[in-house]
Amino acid sequence: MFLQTQGITKEFGKLRAVNNVTLEIKKGDIHAIIGPNGAGKSTYFNLVTGYHRVTSGKVLFRDKEITNLPAYSRCNLGITRSFQITSIYPKLTVYESVLMGLLSHRKVTLNFFSSAKKFFKEEVWRTLEDVGLADQANTLGDSISHGDKKRLELAITLGTEPELLCLDEPTCGMSPEETDIAMSLIKKFSEERGLTILFTEHDMSVVFGIAKRISVLHQGTLIADGTPQEVRASEEVQKVYLGGSA
Amino acid sequence: MLKKGWWLILLLIVSFIAPLFVTEFYLTVLCEALVMSLLALSFNLLFGYMGQLSFGQAAFYGLGGYTVAMLMTKTHFNFWLSIVAGVLVASIIGLIVGIFCVRLRGIYFAVLTLAFGQLIFFIVFKWHNFTGGDDGIQGVFPPEFLKSPTNYYYFLLIIFLLSALVLWKIIHSPFGQTIVSMRENSERTEFLGINIAKYQLITFVIAAAIAGLAGAIWVPFYRSVAPSYLTWIKSGEPVMAAILGGPSLFYGPILGMFIMTFFHSWVLGFTIYWPVVMGILILIIIFFLPGGILGFIQEKVNQRRERLNQLAEK
Repeated sequence: MFLQTQGITKEFGKLRAVNNVTLEIKKGDIHAIIGPNGAGKSTYFNLVTGYHRVTSGKVLFRDKEITNLPAYSRCNLGITRSFQITSIYPKLTVYESVLMGLLSHRKVTLNFFSSAKKFFKEEVWRTLEDVGLADQANTLGDSISHGDKKRLELAITLGTEPELLCLDEPTCGMSPEETDIAMSLIKKFSEERGLTILFTEHDMSVVFGIAKRISVLHQGTLIADGTPQEVRASEEVQKVYLGGSA
Repeated sequence: MLKKGWWLILLLIVSFIAPLFVTEFYLTVLCEALVMSLLALSFNLLFGYMGQLSFGQAAFYGLGGYTVAMLMTKTHFNFWLSIVAGVLVASIIGLIVGIFCVRLRGIYFAVLTLAFGQLIFFIVFKWHNFTGGDDGIQGVFPPEFLKSPTNYYYFLLIIFLLSALVLWKIIHSPFGQTIVSMRENSERTEFLGINIAKYQLITFVIAAAIAGLAGAIWVPFYRSVAPSYLTWIKSGEPVMAAILGGPSLFYGPILGMFIMTFFHSWVLGFTIYWPVVMGILILIIIFFLPGGILGFIQEKVNQRRERLNQLAEK
């Protein structure tokens, strides 16, 4: 079993944002979590990555319980995430930002006396070329375009060489061209690096174009889980989410 | 390398031949500037690089000084071992205080370091039997060969340069890159697998150790130590030096501290209202040179370099 959530619930005061969700993510899948605004997608994400702790239920990663592990420990086990509002290093160069993920993952951050610039040159350049940011390696994070920032965040997370990459709205705010580039990148990484990808997305064409498996949340509850065809065919999904038009 | 580092080599030469040219009064001022610069560097590891303002850095400076003074006057402990002990005591107290402080960030971190600093000051101030209270401790003498100010100056200079080199290495190491990343975006860094509190604690202890070293080497030169070394007013000096010189650059706080120390001894020659003068100076810097003096120079140099590059491209 790769990633499994067993009846996880998250309450914020009286609001039950995620309600008893039991779900399995299989290794190598591109798995989408969809649902209308306020369905609990982001909260579910935050429970998997350790941003929030569950109110009840269990999270298991490769048969090991991680329910109460802090975010950084989950990352060290191989779960890395991106954020809906792009989270990068504004005053570090693109190169340094990607290097940071590698320094952390390869456990050299307690090295006090070697020059950081000497580490993992090859890996950083390979990642930069993979995402197409090599020509902006020495630019500061806050001086690149919005789409590039999203790609930079993807590159930073790839630096940690994750097994499960969680992307919260990876195409949020992107132009259609940028969206296409981003989605083909994600597909490429899933195939080439054997990454498992869990993502949330509001753009249905993106979801049905790339996901191998789709789970639908509605008011915090899981109402459907299956292949794109199965989800498209589900009456309940059509009723609450697709408005019967799909 | 040589072209870029020419001014550094020049400064090194000047600092080594300085005792030949300056009066004993200014040699003393120079010694103080070196020691206080070390304190400012320790502070700026936290402030400029990790992005957390410590307002209790003088407590560790004072602890280093008191340890040396007490060991040397009460137990006639060896000079060198006393200095090592001073660094150790500052580090251990730094570790204990740090465990509480590193859970917080921003203003809460600053206030808690201030509170702990004042707490340590108060203990030293009130524990008359043990620390001498407000009398302080007098008669702390260095070994015979370090009794001349010139020799002590060279001793201070070497310790300062070695410590600065160590800090420079740390800042450019993977560890340094990690604390800079924490300053830039602690959430992103945590979600790359970094235990933020742990790295904050290590940085806090390193800063405490360097501050302790600064206090430990100053006291035998000044021959005495007083509780005022640990107060929040003293803690404010590295803060102002960093802002004055430029916290984003390694040499910024050193420049700031040299300006402050020399300006101080010069202004005292004709007025006792030093804080007023200093206040105006800080106001001018904050309003007109928000990146500090060195930050301003760096910006101008970069602009010039860019213009030259553009010209070269044409």
